[in-house]
Amino acid sequence: MTGKDRPGRQFSMKPKSDLTDSELLCLMLSGDEDAFSLLYRRRQGGIYRFALQMSGSQQVAEDVTQDVFIFLIKDGHVFDATKGSLSSFLFGVARNYVLRRFRGDQSTVPFADDEDDQPFDPMCDEPGPLDDLTRAETIENVRRAVLSLPERYREVVVLCELQELSYVETAEILGCAIGTVRSRLHRARALLLAKLKPVPESVEQSSAGVETVRCFA
Amino acid sequence: MNCQKFESVAGEFARGQMMEAELRSEAIAHTSGCATCASLLRDEELLMRGLRSLAADMSSLEASSSSEARLLNAFRQRQVVVPLPVSRTNRAIWLTAVAALFLLVFSLVAFRWRDSSNETPAQQVTAPQPVQRDETVAVDKNPEPESQKEIGPGESHKRTPRRNLSNSLAFNARAKGSRNRNSNVAANHVSSEVATDFLPLGYMNATTFQDGGQIVRVELPRARLASFGIPVNMDRFNERVKADILVSVDGTARAIRFVQEKRLE
Repeated sequence: MTGKDRPGRQFSMKPKSDLTDSELLCLMLSGDEDAFSLLYRRRQGGIYRFALQMSGSQQVAEDVTQDVFIFLIKDGHVFDATKGSLSSFLFGVARNYVLRRFRGDQSTVPFADDEDDQPFDPMCDEPGPLDDLTRAETIENVRRAVLSLPERYREVVVLCELQELSYVETAEILGCAIGTVRSRLHRARALLLAKLKPVPESVEQSSAGVETVRCFA
Repeated sequence: MNCQKFESVAGEFARGQMMEAELRSEAIAHTSGCATCASLLRDEELLMRGLRSLAADMSSLEASSSSEARLLNAFRQRQVVVPLPVSRTNRAIWLTAVAALFLLVFSLVAFRWRDSSNETPAQQVTAPQPVQRDETVAVDKNPEPESQKEIGPGESHKRTPRRNLSNSLAFNARAKGSRNRNSNVAANHVSSEVATDFLPLGYMNATTFQDGGQIVRVELPRARLASFGIPVNMDRFNERVKADILVSVDGTARAIRFVQEKRLE
């Protein structure tokens, strides 16, 4: 590599804060500590929150964030800018670490997958959170409802709704089709609504389920 | 638009995502006429609001500063660690090369020394040597210091490096070690050894001497000579005497001969 081709020389004209993630990664891989620091500060929040929203554990979120950036330090060269953004790449790595945690430590997962059809009833004796709960209570209920979703639905809710990523980015991260993201999100929202809706007492007492009335107007 | 169609777009409608204007107006029209779908839309909007509140509530959360410090430390270590394996590899290669060179040189020297030592006995045969009855003269061939070792418990038998039986037997009658001899001449004296014949141990007879084996140099208390029928000078009872033990291939001692150094002026 000639001096002309070296990343430090290539990007030296711009201030580092103006560099893209890929450019910072390139500098970082050539040993630029500032580039790493800048990249970390730029991306760690999203990764941390993703891990926290997926696991519900601050410890796991800390660990996963650290693992993701250690992976970047060691194997950052595997990132291919033609396949997607560095942000998506990092979320993908974080997702793998979170899922690995779930496989290794079942206690991290707050609710098992087979419970996804059971209504989540955070406060049976109180009105529904969608109506008149205080903001903090609503947030807590939503957080718990999200955590109670099966992994495949939880991750699309976290990425699309909480991280506000596009379907395309989410599909890149999950490695699936956009249509799959859309359908999973649709199903996830339905599950969330079911979990957050108050269970009517009459339904609770009777063993028969509620027959859905649908209008075809 | 019917309820099924509305249900499929309700989420995106509530999220405020971009939709076709026509589809959007159809959805709005449908909710005005269908209480169930209006309720669904309301729930979807409330859910959306709850999710956004949650996202906003968590937006300030991030990893601890100690995490960054640890990562920076790891990054610096990686900067230091990466070149090290290369230098280690280079060092290992150099050490291996030097070791190989030494081995090669040593092999060549040993090979040449062996050739020269094979030639010298023939020259030495004609050299006048003091010969006694029942004794053969041998000049010490081994230039190395004797590494001696105890043979058995309670006895201070010491071993010298092993030699081939055929070579050792041949050395009985001829002088050895021209290099040592030269150096000894320079010191104005020649050291030589006087050795007895091999005395069989146990039921061994002389014919089995040719079966092969190795000769091991040991040191014994002089008193041991008596057990082989050799007279012992009681004044030197406590001194030690050198001996060669013929050890067969199965490891048993077959024969012994006693060796005495003799200084020649």
